[in-house]
Amino acid sequence: MDVSQLKIRQLREMLDKKEISAAELADEYIKRIKEYDKKLESYITVTEEIAKEQAKAAQERINSGSSSALTGIPIAIKDNICTEGVKTTCASKMLENFVPPYNATVIEKLYSENIVMLGKTSMDEFAMGGSTQTSAFAKTKNPYDLNRVPGGSSGGSAACVSAGLAPAALGSDTGGSIRQPAAFCGVTGLKPTYGRVSRYGLVAFASSLDQIGPIARDAHDCALVLNAISGCDSRDGTSSRLAAENFAAKIGMPVKGMKIAVPKEFYADGIDAVVRDSVLSAAQKYKEMGAEIVECSMPSLKYAVAAYYLISSAEASSNLSRYDGIKYGHRSSKGDSYSELVCNSRSEGFGEEVKRRILLGNYALSSGYYDAYYGKAMALKQKIRAEYEEIFKLCDVILTPTAPSVAYGINENVTDPVKMYQADICTVTVNIASLPAISTTCGYDSKGMPIGMSIIGKHFDEATIIQVADAFEKNFEIIPPRIV
Amino acid sequence: MYIPVIGLEIHAELLTKSKVFCNCSAEFGGDQNSRCCPVCTGMPGTLPVINQTAVEYAVKAGFALNCEINKFSVFDRKNYFYPDLPKAYQISQLNYPLCINGSVPIEVEVDGEKIQKNIRINRIHLEEDAGKLIHDDYNGVSLADYNRCGIPLIEIVTEPDIRSAEEARAFVEKVSLLLQYAGVCDCKMEQGSLRCDVNISIMKPTDTEFGTRAEIKNLNSLKSIVRAIEYEIKRQSKILDGGGKVVQETRRFNDNHGDTKSMRSKEDAHDYRYFPEPDILQVNFTDEDLAAIRAKLPELPEKRFERYTKEYGLSETDAKILVSQKTISDFFNGALEVYNNPKSISSFIIVELLRRVNLGEVSMDNLPFSSKDFAILVQMADEEKVSKNDAKTILRFMVESGKNPEEIAKENGFLISNDTGKVEEVVEGVLSANKAIVEQWLSGEQKVFGFLMGQCTKELKGVCTPKVVKDILEAKLNSMK
Amino acid sequence: MDLDMVSYLAKLSKLNFTEDELKKAAADMTSIIDIMDTIKEVDIVYNPLADNKNMYLKDLREDIAKDSMETEKILQNAKHSDNCFVVPKVVE
Repeated sequence: MDVSQLKIRQLREMLDKKEISAAELADEYIKRIKEYDKKLESYITVTEEIAKEQAKAAQERINSGSSSALTGIPIAIKDNICTEGVKTTCASKMLENFVPPYNATVIEKLYSENIVMLGKTSMDEFAMGGSTQTSAFAKTKNPYDLNRVPGGSSGGSAACVSAGLAPAALGSDTGGSIRQPAAFCGVTGLKPTYGRVSRYGLVAFASSLDQIGPIARDAHDCALVLNAISGCDSRDGTSSRLAAENFAAKIGMPVKGMKIAVPKEFYADGIDAVVRDSVLSAAQKYKEMGAEIVECSMPSLKYAVAAYYLISSAEASSNLSRYDGIKYGHRSSKGDSYSELVCNSRSEGFGEEVKRRILLGNYALSSGYYDAYYGKAMALKQKIRAEYEEIFKLCDVILTPTAPSVAYGINENVTDPVKMYQADICTVTVNIASLPAISTTCGYDSKGMPIGMSIIGKHFDEATIIQVADAFEKNFEIIPPRIV
Repeated sequence: MYIPVIGLEIHAELLTKSKVFCNCSAEFGGDQNSRCCPVCTGMPGTLPVINQTAVEYAVKAGFALNCEINKFSVFDRKNYFYPDLPKAYQISQLNYPLCINGSVPIEVEVDGEKIQKNIRINRIHLEEDAGKLIHDDYNGVSLADYNRCGIPLIEIVTEPDIRSAEEARAFVEKVSLLLQYAGVCDCKMEQGSLRCDVNISIMKPTDTEFGTRAEIKNLNSLKSIVRAIEYEIKRQSKILDGGGKVVQETRRFNDNHGDTKSMRSKEDAHDYRYFPEPDILQVNFTDEDLAAIRAKLPELPEKRFERYTKEYGLSETDAKILVSQKTISDFFNGALEVYNNPKSISSFIIVELLRRVNLGEVSMDNLPFSSKDFAILVQMADEEKVSKNDAKTILRFMVESGKNPEEIAKENGFLISNDTGKVEEVVEGVLSANKAIVEQWLSGEQKVFGFLMGQCTKELKGVCTPKVVKDILEAKLNSMK
Repeated sequence: MDLDMVSYLAKLSKLNFTEDELKKAAADMTSIIDIMDTIKEVDIVYNPLADNKNMYLKDLREDIAKDSMETEKILQNAKHSDNCFVVPKVVE
């Protein structure tokens, strides 16, 4: 049986109708991982034994007739989400052997649905990057072209779903880390509103921006995963008190009469023509479905990348200070004093990009520079939020490209941090403004590389962006990667 | 001659049940790393969730120290590496602390006269305590125990209003008294629940600006605060006298040597890179919230002192002793509810109960009997149901057994029955056995009355009060005239 | 950004750099700071009150002590001795 292109809903039906057992289903994916992941390198850890055990428990629940939406569904987890007893490395040498003594809230929630965990997926080290090439363990490739990057930082999660090595995966998104790899790998990725999903157990990169979300084959599947992982958590003081809702509720409702905004700055010179044309033709399709396209502007977009890197690096420099080699993580064999041991452990454990961000963050926060950098970036954050509020007075959702280009070649960009940072222009404002956004495939370039578009919604209005993405997906044919 | 300019930072651990950002127990002690969880040990992925009671207690402390409360308060991260700080940042407050602009009156002596002086409080903010390092000299390593990590602390920062070691001592005593009254800290300096940093500089009376200050960290007794300040004044004076300059630095007080030494390990750049803590939302208060917290504050020592002296007519010395500890004052108040005789209760507390407390026989924190039982005892003595002497013995038994005074009096035959029939019988017996002496009295030798009285009381001990004996004896003798 | 500044940041960050690494870091940081400097032209100030999420005292966690984690699990990723984390000797 070829499970590679099956969606969660199809798997659900097969499981409930006993056409396949949870164990057989898990086996199919494990087999595929063994066959393809040597080339793809999307997983850091494959949890075959755990998957088998969990499949057994899931089957019992299915047999008892009490299965929920994700019971028995295999899912991959980004390796910065803590899993008790299973290594959680953040793709860093620093945490190479770190075994969390606790589960993240999202993991507890998924386990309570009796999912089957396939493994932990690769990523940019500590989620800092957009290529998954800063991973210390698995430099994941793009399933559409093994010479290209899968995007990042959730590159492993996007690539494994794209290549059919999991029907869905969890990623995390601080500045585009779910949406951009989803776009590069031709799958659908959802970054929920900040506070929608508990961050407890997500290894922090930038606490005010981080959010866990699903990567799946389509918007409807994303909704099913979001249903399972969202909700207020007493262990996360920033999690929203809003009651959980059914994010698939609006699926199938017409987009006719809906107002879709296209802020002109997102379609300007820095965006490759093939991407711009593809997203604008998607806008045209929405128009044909009866939606109204609204032109608008976001004047502060040009400052967004700077504001994002200052805020995220400042928070990261503080969040990553805890890695000192004493309590967990890489402990250098050299160093007779506390200070020496800490310096050696950190210098050996962190990769180049992580170190760069720590330096930048400390610069932005250090005395004498705080007001000019961190303070100003926080002010810009408020300005960008205000500009979104203005735009949302005119529309229901906003449509933008997910990335300025399609997936680029491995080793392109990666050596030039400035170029790499500027590639985040399309995604970072969503995190800055705490908004929800979903990226789905809207076309392919001449070489067959997927192109992603993002639909940005109002705060806590995931249901609408899922509805809008789904409306497009229903009329769009996915071309699976050749690796399949 | 120099004028010392001193500011204090007092760290007080709050008496919450759980830690400030997680549910681990906030009790003192415990086996090493047994009161820890992923949150307070700074494991990757964990988040702080702020304790409501810790915030409430900090505000309560603010009210006790006459502060204004910020109705909008922000938490910040203070970043520095130290092995007792697992996250490598301390969650604290910088620009929007919970409380600001307070003041605490202390009594100071100027030219032999006692006057009141106000020490201004700059701010009180809420933060988390750090862990403990145990130095294992044998193996040449340090061992980190994180039980104390995350115990809620308030930091009370004064303006540089203090001018001597004695004022500093009076201030710390007063603050700990107020915090104990507020019920937010037990202020046990020996257990580290109250600690003090001292900022001190000296200046000439003609100077218009403060001198360069040194900070002495972590003083954990009143004695060391006084000694450290006195040492620093001498040290800095010597430097200035010699034409030198005081270096701004952090110093440690050595209790054994009575001196302060520069702390080289803390010389790392003091660039704490404070920024708003993104994991904790800003805390707001409504007027109702603040009124409710204020209402929970008990009557503070000044008010009680006033009541004790003006309403109850106690001496200032006695009133001061009673309010010097909340437990004593509460006990006194409790006793009055049962037996409203402030002078009697006060004197029995001060003379008898506190004597036993000072002897270490018992502690006010865990008396085995209630203030109600104590009041009953005092009343029994006042009403001469037991003798004054026996009342003291009864108190001793109460301390030992926790039994109530009536029971003890009964069991030990201390109860005075004032059975006049029995008294008359005894008096008559004594008179007939001492006929010669009775004759002497009848002939006008008044002084022999004492002998007869002594004979009677010897036999009537515990049966009746001396007054009754005296009345009956006098009556009998007079009838023989 | 000059080498002194990068050395200072490295010290704050508790990171060691060789002379060559320091030079490269300085060059990288210089070009990164160039982008960051674009925000200097915007004349606005951060207002913390505007970020208020209206969290009140009643919304905060109730003060209840719960069981802690087993010491063994707390220490499972660390070099430990006597139920404590082992730190190189701290000289004060």
